[in-house]
Amino acid sequence: MTDHHTPSGRSLLRRAAAFAVAAVALAAPAVAGTTLPAHAADAAPAVKVAIATDIDTFNPFLAILASSTGILRFQYENLVQYGVNNEPVPGLSDKWETSTDGKTWTYHIRDGMKWSDNQPLTADDVAWTFNAVKTNPALQKANGGLVENVQSVAAKDPSTLELTLTAPQASNPGFELPIVPKHVWEKQADPSKYANDTDTVGSGPFTIKSYQKGVSVQLVANPNFWRGPAKVSGLTYAYYKNTDAAVQALKNGEVDIVGSLTPAQFTSLKDQSGITTNQGAGRRYTALAINPGAIDAQGKPLGDGNAALQDPVLRQAIVKAVDKQTLLTRVLQGLGKPGLTEMPGVYPSYTGYAPGYTAPTFDIAGANQLLDRAGYAKGADGNRTDKSGKPLTLRLMGRNSDPTHAQMAEFVKGWLGQIGIPLTVSMVTPNQVNDDSTLGKYDLYFTGWGIGPDPDFQLSINQCSSRPNADGSGATSENNWCDPAFDALYKAQHTELDAAKRADLVKQAFTMIDKAAINSVVWYADTLEAWRSDKFTGFVKQPENTGVVMGQNGYWGLYGATPVSADTASSAGTSSSSGMPGWVIGLVIVAVIVVVGAIILLSMRRRATAADRE
Amino acid sequence: MSIAPGSDALARDEAGIDTPGDAAGPDESGPRGSTLPRYIAVKAGGALISLAMVVVLGFFSFRILPGSDPAINLTRGRQVSAAEVERLRHEFGLDQSLIAQFFRYVGDLLTGNLGTSFVYNQSVSSLIAEKLGPTLLLTGTAALISITLGLWLGQRAAWRRGSWFDKLQTGTALTFWSVPTFWLGLILLLVFAGMFHLFPAGGMTTAGSDETGFAYILDALHHLTLPVVTMVAVVYAQYLMVMRASVLEEMSADYLTTARAKGLAEDKVRTRHAVPNALLPTVTLIFLHVGGLIGGAVTVETVFSWPGLGFLTFTALSAPDLPLLQGTFVVFSTIVILMNFVADLLYRVLDPRLKAA
Repeated sequence: MTDHHTPSGRSLLRRAAAFAVAAVALAAPAVAGTTLPAHAADAAPAVKVAIATDIDTFNPFLAILASSTGILRFQYENLVQYGVNNEPVPGLSDKWETSTDGKTWTYHIRDGMKWSDNQPLTADDVAWTFNAVKTNPALQKANGGLVENVQSVAAKDPSTLELTLTAPQASNPGFELPIVPKHVWEKQADPSKYANDTDTVGSGPFTIKSYQKGVSVQLVANPNFWRGPAKVSGLTYAYYKNTDAAVQALKNGEVDIVGSLTPAQFTSLKDQSGITTNQGAGRRYTALAINPGAIDAQGKPLGDGNAALQDPVLRQAIVKAVDKQTLLTRVLQGLGKPGLTEMPGVYPSYTGYAPGYTAPTFDIAGANQLLDRAGYAKGADGNRTDKSGKPLTLRLMGRNSDPTHAQMAEFVKGWLGQIGIPLTVSMVTPNQVNDDSTLGKYDLYFTGWGIGPDPDFQLSINQCSSRPNADGSGATSENNWCDPAFDALYKAQHTELDAAKRADLVKQAFTMIDKAAINSVVWYADTLEAWRSDKFTGFVKQPENTGVVMGQNGYWGLYGATPVSADTASSAGTSSSSGMPGWVIGLVIVAVIVVVGAIILLSMRRRATAADRE
Repeated sequence: MSIAPGSDALARDEAGIDTPGDAAGPDESGPRGSTLPRYIAVKAGGALISLAMVVVLGFFSFRILPGSDPAINLTRGRQVSAAEVERLRHEFGLDQSLIAQFFRYVGDLLTGNLGTSFVYNQSVSSLIAEKLGPTLLLTGTAALISITLGLWLGQRAAWRRGSWFDKLQTGTALTFWSVPTFWLGLILLLVFAGMFHLFPAGGMTTAGSDETGFAYILDALHHLTLPVVTMVAVVYAQYLMVMRASVLEEMSADYLTTARAKGLAEDKVRTRHAVPNALLPTVTLIFLHVGGLIGGAVTVETVFSWPGLGFLTFTALSAPDLPLLQGTFVVFSTIVILMNFVADLLYRVLDPRLKAA
């Protein structure tokens, strides 16, 4: 029996030893991890940015996902850049002029500029880029639309570029298109196959140094950036596939800035020391769209929208019965601005209604009056019938991926009930919403668009000519709506070179959409962000003071980042944490030892009793 | 039971823990007693048929998703003309008839070409190859630990059934089994990353560090801990329960009485006699589950930002990036089918009773 005892005693010891090793292996990196931030503080700091969505490619001709295009904004300066207040400011071009017919744009390229590899940056690079997109269909995936109206491009001399357009246009054709270095790209046998993700050459404040797929992207400051090199050594993007993890990483000191927070995450970060939160004005609108009787490009009815909604009075009554302010405070917890037209407040020159227009205000009694007068009779049950005497019921569609849609739907259902219109609500997948809205298969649905600084595109998709084919292919229509008077306004603003006059026409056009009650803008949601203010300051918001740092039209936000000097950081940062306090490590080690010891003791005791039994 | 439906590849098998009765592994109606080559041929044939069905199903099911025109979805919200959308559709081959697309897809597949991703401008096989490593590291580690832990605890629990150890272990394991993976993952993240700063909140290595060698391995281990703990906690119960049931079945067997009569210590009776026999049904079960485990990694990868196949599939769904979706679907399914095939073979090899007669 003793004979049996010894080996099992040994195996017990072996097991205990293995367990202890495992425990130490688990704890060791934790201890090692606490030393990491100290190392990082020694080196010149780079801002660590959390990104949530995947990167498709860093080839600027092909990149379409928001993460990639957002990073490429740092890499390539445009001909003309959006300023801190979304106004046009010099980019590669320091001044430009437009011919009186709006068809010839001449850009002066700033003298003495260099690419990040010290090669000169001239009008040749710009001309090469424009022509590459124009002539090579394989390079049109991302920016083909930007050069569609460009007839020819010519570098008159190293500092003069002339763009000739097919039709006059008021919006500056120098925006948005990333200008690439000719000397790098012309060497590529097939530029559409060039990955452009290692030691890249750029003209913006940062250039891509390395890219580890699915893990991180490293950008370094470009010493030749014409506005002067950034004050940080670079940007390091790290993937966090959900914002909850990104928030923990911010608290943990793994990243320095996180965007796209939910209201709950935002609130949880508000009072953390060393962290600053920002509720920035967003550039996305959320609206209730009403089907005006969709018609396809061939003029045939499209989809299955309730025919009663073709009456503008019914649509206006619905808009009147929706209390935007309540939706903003109750559903969005006040984290946004009340909606006016489709142009959010971050674009002050285009936002707001045309002079003389009074927008409908929330008024249930008024809405009921409108409907009574228009002949929508109320039955004994309080529900209305349409003009042909059939019961009037409507459907409301929203995205199941957005919790605010379901919440808004409950409110809207209540209000429409008060004006005698029963509502069936369905929350479906985003792709289903896209499909059904394109094909006019809706009565009401919640929609939203992110809006760029120039209103032309958003207006263009409301023209009669933007209606889709019967199968949904062809052009994209925002609201399945058509009004020749609107088309005339669109065309007028499209070629109006006087900025003030154009802004006026734009407001008139957007006001028409509101008046037609086809797309009632509920709110512009704020964008919620947070960053480690114990490590970096100087982030520039767009628009100035009220806007966002991440996801700008431009590079201002992170280009402005300034490291908090080492002295202040150490005095400010002690309480706040990037590592873990020493006593926690001690506690963890003690706990591990106690647990291991207890397990060993218990098994030995059990073994002893078992042996006794035998 | 021997052929898991394709959908199992994409979700943890939530159906419940196998009861001892059907834990016995491969299809009982199989060609018991036939010759080994014939047995293999029949099983391999079955596996190939499943694979062919997966290919067909994968192709058509992703095309009937609502909003499934990738050319429109990829250009949504950008300044793009109708002509450009048409050009993209042509480039993707979506302007051809469904049948023509299908035969082109199958033809490519037979030559080992999974196509080119719509979004990433890269071949699907290279994309999958890049992400397969991290997924295998995560699921392999988790499988190894959960199998070892489950089997060890299972046989101990069975040996002392009804004891506090048995009750505690089965209770704990079943509690973790019932917990949703993403919830457990988020809680661990909140406590160990956000609160105590013990582990990183995501990723496979520290972003922006250029560590090599031992430091790199340590860094990866540090990142691996929380996702592995989450996966292990959620799945080890199935191994524990099956092992426990198997050992219980063996405990009343006559050969154990014989062993005890020889004067063997209880420990030896258990480790030398009961456990080897109880392992028989368990081993095949392990292979049946390992396939599913890889699919189950999708959730864990999303919670812990692990750069694996799961997130690739998730991203591909939004376009939808049809070639990539089909590719990951085929790869996930092939793993499951292959593992089932291995389980069938192993069972035959391990159980002498199947060879005789």
